[in-house]
Amino acid sequence: MTDANERAAAARTDASLSVAVTGAGGSGAVTAGLILLEAVAAAGLYGLLRRSAGPQIRGGESAALLRFGPEPIHCAGDRCDLLAALDWANHARFADEIPLDAASLVLADPAAGAPPDAVSASAARVREAGFAASAREREGGRANMVAVGAVGALAGLPLEALLDAAGRTLSGKGEAVVAAAHACIDAGFALADPADRLLATVELYVPPPERWHITGNEAAGLGALRAGVRFVAAYPITPASEMLEWLAPRLPRVGGTLLQAEDELASVNMIVGSAFGGVPALTATSGPGLSLMQEGIGLAVASETPIVVVNVMRGGPSTGIPTKAEQSDLNAALYGLHGDAPHLVLAALDIADCAHTVAWAVRLAWRLQTAAIVLSDQSLGQSRAVCDPVSQALTRPARDATELRGPLLNSDAVYRRYAITADGVSPMSVPGEAGRAYTADGLEHDTEGAPSSRAADHAAQLDKRGRKLTVFDFGPDWAEILDHEDGTEADAGPCLCIVTFGAGRGAVVEAAERLRRDHPRVRTIALRLLAPLQRTALMAAMRDARVLVVEQNHGAQLFHYLHAEQALPAGARSLARPGPLPLRPAEIVAAATALLAEDRHDRD
Amino acid sequence: MKTSMQAGVVESVGELLAHALELEYASQAHYEQLADSMAVHHNTAVAELFSRLAVLSGEHAATVAARAGDTALPRIPPWEFKWECPHAPEGADCLDPAVSYGMSTVQAIELALHNERRGHAYYSQVATSASAPEARGLAAEMAAEEAEHILMLEQMLTEERRAYRDAPDDLDPPHTPA
Amino acid sequence: MTETSTTRAPGDHTVGAASPPRRTGSTPARQPPSAEHAPSAQHRAVIPSLRAQTYKSHIKPIWCPGCGHFGVLAALTKTLAYLELPPERIAVVSGIGCSSRLPAYLSVHGFHGLHGRALPLAAGLKAARPELTVIAAGGDGDGFSIGGNHFLHACRRNQDFTYIVMDNEVYGMTKGQASPTTQPDWHRSKLTPHGTGVRRFQPAAIALAAGASFIARGFAGDPAGLTRLLAAAIEHPGFAFVHVLSPCRTFRAEHHAWKQLVHPCERGPAEDIARAAELIQRDDGMALGILFEQQIPVYAPAVTTAAEQGQSDAAASAAALAALEAELCR
Repeated sequence: MTDANERAAAARTDASLSVAVTGAGGSGAVTAGLILLEAVAAAGLYGLLRRSAGPQIRGGESAALLRFGPEPIHCAGDRCDLLAALDWANHARFADEIPLDAASLVLADPAAGAPPDAVSASAARVREAGFAASAREREGGRANMVAVGAVGALAGLPLEALLDAAGRTLSGKGEAVVAAAHACIDAGFALADPADRLLATVELYVPPPERWHITGNEAAGLGALRAGVRFVAAYPITPASEMLEWLAPRLPRVGGTLLQAEDELASVNMIVGSAFGGVPALTATSGPGLSLMQEGIGLAVASETPIVVVNVMRGGPSTGIPTKAEQSDLNAALYGLHGDAPHLVLAALDIADCAHTVAWAVRLAWRLQTAAIVLSDQSLGQSRAVCDPVSQALTRPARDATELRGPLLNSDAVYRRYAITADGVSPMSVPGEAGRAYTADGLEHDTEGAPSSRAADHAAQLDKRGRKLTVFDFGPDWAEILDHEDGTEADAGPCLCIVTFGAGRGAVVEAAERLRRDHPRVRTIALRLLAPLQRTALMAAMRDARVLVVEQNHGAQLFHYLHAEQALPAGARSLARPGPLPLRPAEIVAAATALLAEDRHDRD
Repeated sequence: MKTSMQAGVVESVGELLAHALELEYASQAHYEQLADSMAVHHNTAVAELFSRLAVLSGEHAATVAARAGDTALPRIPPWEFKWECPHAPEGADCLDPAVSYGMSTVQAIELALHNERRGHAYYSQVATSASAPEARGLAAEMAAEEAEHILMLEQMLTEERRAYRDAPDDLDPPHTPA
Repeated sequence: MTETSTTRAPGDHTVGAASPPRRTGSTPARQPPSAEHAPSAQHRAVIPSLRAQTYKSHIKPIWCPGCGHFGVLAALTKTLAYLELPPERIAVVSGIGCSSRLPAYLSVHGFHGLHGRALPLAAGLKAARPELTVIAAGGDGDGFSIGGNHFLHACRRNQDFTYIVMDNEVYGMTKGQASPTTQPDWHRSKLTPHGTGVRRFQPAAIALAAGASFIARGFAGDPAGLTRLLAAAIEHPGFAFVHVLSPCRTFRAEHHAWKQLVHPCERGPAEDIARAAELIQRDDGMALGILFEQQIPVYAPAVTTAAEQGQSDAAASAAALAALEAELCR
C-alpha cells in the first residue's frame, strides 16, 4: 500500500466508503449512481444514494452521492473518499456537499479541462481518467459508464456486480445500450490504477441478501398501503411528489384510488371526506403545502376524523430550498393549528422507517380519531437505500377500516358520536349505518354533534380530545433509544445523551458509535413520536445525563420544544444547524466532545 | 312534465287523498318549522301558537290517513300535485312579508287563516271539478271540515285582536346600516 | 360507479303493493327509519313511509324566520323522500355560512366542514364511497368566493354528486357584507359603504365554462319547482350544480321582489354547450329551470371497500400487497 492509500484508509472512520459522480445534465451522473448502488446490493453491501441537482428540469448539473459499506448506512459521511468528475460544470454548487481533503482521490477527465480551484485547494490527489476518450472508442459508448467501471474498481466492487447492475438498470433501453455499457464498464475497470484502490475487491454475494432497494418516499407509500390506506389525495410538490407518484399506480392494485386535487386546501379536505366515509386516507406534501393544510388538519382534530398528512420537509420558510432537506417544519407541525388542537406528530427515523412510522401513524390516527402529521424530509424521501426491510410484523396490515376504528359502543339509545368516555375515544359511525347518522362538525358541539357554544360543552370536548392522547399507551415505539457502550462500566463518568428526531437519527447514532471510544456511556434518543411528547419516559431515558439536542434547522425548534415542555435537564445544549447540507457525524462528535470537555474543565 | 292524467282534474279518491295527505303533512311541517324558528328567535307566544297549529295539522293528517284505509294512493312527484295556485298550499316563508322574527300572534293567525282558506278553496274546487263522483263527494266533506277550521281561526283572530297590544320596538335589531 | 339512484320517468307512479320494499315501513316522525323496520299494520303498502319529515333532524334551524333556506330544506327533504333514498345512504356536506348549517337539520349523514371547502370534502367522500348519494351545499360566499377554485375544478372533474348553492347575494352569518353575487352598487354593507364596484360573479356561465354537465336555477319561493330540479340533479350522472335564489329576509329585504322577477326558462334545457352559453348570457339571471344538461363521462375513481370486496377480493388485495412488496426487493 502506498503512503497515500494509508492516509486515505486512516481518514476513514469506519468500513464505509463515500463516492461521488458529478456532471452536467445529460452526462448520466445520476444513472451512474443508480448502477453503483445496484452493484453495492449485488455485492451484499448496504448503501445510501443521495442526489443533488440544480432546479433545471433537465440539462442542469447533477451529482450522485453514494455511501456504502458492510453495515447499514443512515447518513452522509463526513468526507468524500472518491470523486469521479465527468466534467466540472458548476462544480462550485456541489463543493460544500462533496467535502474533499488530502486523503480524497479525484478522477478528472482531462477533456474537461483543469479542476476548479476548490478541488486544487483541497489538496486531494487528482488522477487523470479519460472517460470521454475511452467512451468514444466504443460503439455507443458513454463516459458515465466508463466512470462506473473506474469507480467500481477503486471502490472494491466486483466487476460482475457492476455489469449485472448495469444490465438491470438499463434493461429497458435495449440490448445495444446494455452491451455498450458493459464494454465501457470493462474499459473503466481496466482504466483504474490498481495502486489507487481504496478497498480490496469484495466477493460477489450469491444470492444477494433480501434487502429493500427503496427511497423514503416509496417506503412511506408502502407503510400507508400496509396500514390500510385506500384513498390518497394528491397535489404535487417537491420533494413529496414521488410518494404520491409511487402510490398512484399501486393503490388500484389493492382496491384503492388516488385523486389529483386542485390545491392543498382541496387535498386535505378530500382525505377528511374519505375518512368520514370510513376509508383510511392520506396525503403527502411539503412545507408550503403543510401551511395551506393547517385549517383542514384542525377540522380533522375538531371533528375527530382520522387523517394522515406526510410532510416531506425541505428548506424553508416560503419556497425556501425545495430540493434540499431541513428539519424546520417541526414548529409548524406542532404549533401550526389554531385553537387548542391536540394531534399526533411523528417523524420517520430513516428511509426504511418511513414505512413503519407512516403505518403506525395511520393506526394511531384511527385508534385515536385525530390528525397525524408525519415528518419525513428530502434526505429520506428522495434518497435511495439498500437496507434491511421493515418487517410486516411491525406494520401489520389492517383488514379494513372497521378494525382500524375499533368497536362501536352500544350503550345509549341515542347515538352520541362525541360521547364523553374514559379514554376520550367516542364511537365513530360511517355513512351506511342506519340510526347512527350524525353531522361531523368543525363547530364546537355537544355529545350528539349538535353545534354548541356552551362553556360546558366546549370544556368537555376539549378535555376529551386532549385526554385521548394523554391516556393512551403508545408503547415503546415513541423513540429509538440506543446505548453505545464499550462494556467497561467502571468509573463511567457522566453519561452523554444525544437527543434528536426524525432523520437526525442517522448522523447522531454514527456519532455516538465514535464517541464511545473515548466516552464509555453514550446514549442516543431518536424521537419518533413528537406529540404528544412522552415526557416522563423521555426524562427517565435521559436520567441525569449531559444532554445534547441535535437537529437540522436554524431555530433549534426541538430544543425549544423540549424546554417548553420542561423535558430537558439543566445544562442541556443545542446543536442546531440549518440545511441544505446534511448533518454529518463529525460535527456532532465535535459538539459532544466540546461539551464533555467543558464538564471536565468545570470539575477540575 | 305532463302526465297521462288530465292536468288539473282529480280523477280518483286515491288521488284526492294523496293531495289531502300532502297538504296536511306540508302544513304540519311548515307550522313546526315556523314554531321552531320563532322559538329560536325567542318569540314565545307565536312559537306556541304555531306549535298548536302543527298539532292540529298532524291530527288532520292522521284523519286523512285513516280515511285512506286500504286505498292505494298514487305516488305523485312533488312538482305534479294539482294545486290551484302555482305553489303548494303551504307556501314559502320568503314570499310572505309577515313572516319575521318579530311577527305578532295576530299576523300568525292571519297566516294560518290564509292557508286554511286556500285549503278550503282547493277542496271546494275539487268537489265540483273531480271526474270521479266519489272524489267529488269526499272533497265536499273535506271542504266542510276546512270551513270549521276557518271558523275556529276566525274566532281566535277576533280574540287575539282584542287582546293585542302593539309590540314594542326591537331594541336589539340585526346589524344593518342605517 | 356501483350504485346510483335509478332514473325514473316522470309520472311513473309506483302504486300500493308494487312499491319497492324500502317504502313499506312506517316510522314515527323525526326518527330515521331503516330498511329493517317492520311495516305498520294500519297503512301497509299504501302511504309512503319515507316522508319529508323523515329526513329532518330534531335540531331547530338558526335561520331567520322568512329565510329562503327554509324553502330549500323543505324542497330537499321532499325530494329525498320522493326518490326513496334511505337516509343512511345519503351524506350532505357543507362549508360555513347560514346555508351551510343545512346538514345539522337533516337526519342523514352530514359534515359541516370548513368555509369554502365543501366541494373537496364531498369529492373525497364520493371517491371513497361511490355508492352513497352525496350532496354538497352552501352559500354564494362559501362557494363562489373562498371556495371559487374548488367550484371550477368540481365542475370540470364531473364526479357524480350534487351541489346546491343557496345564493342570497350577501354574507349573512358575518352580518351583511357584499358577496361575489352582490350588485356592484349595493352600498348597505358597512364594509363597502360605497358598493363593491366589482362586477357580479356569474355562477351559471362560469359553471358552464368550467365544464359542468348539469346546471339548473331554482327559487326558494318555488318549492315545487325546486323539488323537480333537485330530483333531476340528484339523478343526473355527474356533477349537478343547482343555483338557488334564496332570499335573505334580514339583510336583503329587497329580495321580496324576486317572486315577481323570476320566470321559467322557456328555452332550456340546452344540451349543446354553445346554445347553453347563449341561453345563459342572454338570460336576466332570473330564469328558473334546467339550463344545461349533458351526458358526459363521469369521473369515478373509486375505492373498493372491504364490505363490497367480499372475502375473496380482500384476500386478493392482500396478495396484491405482498406482490407489491416483493417488487421492492431486487
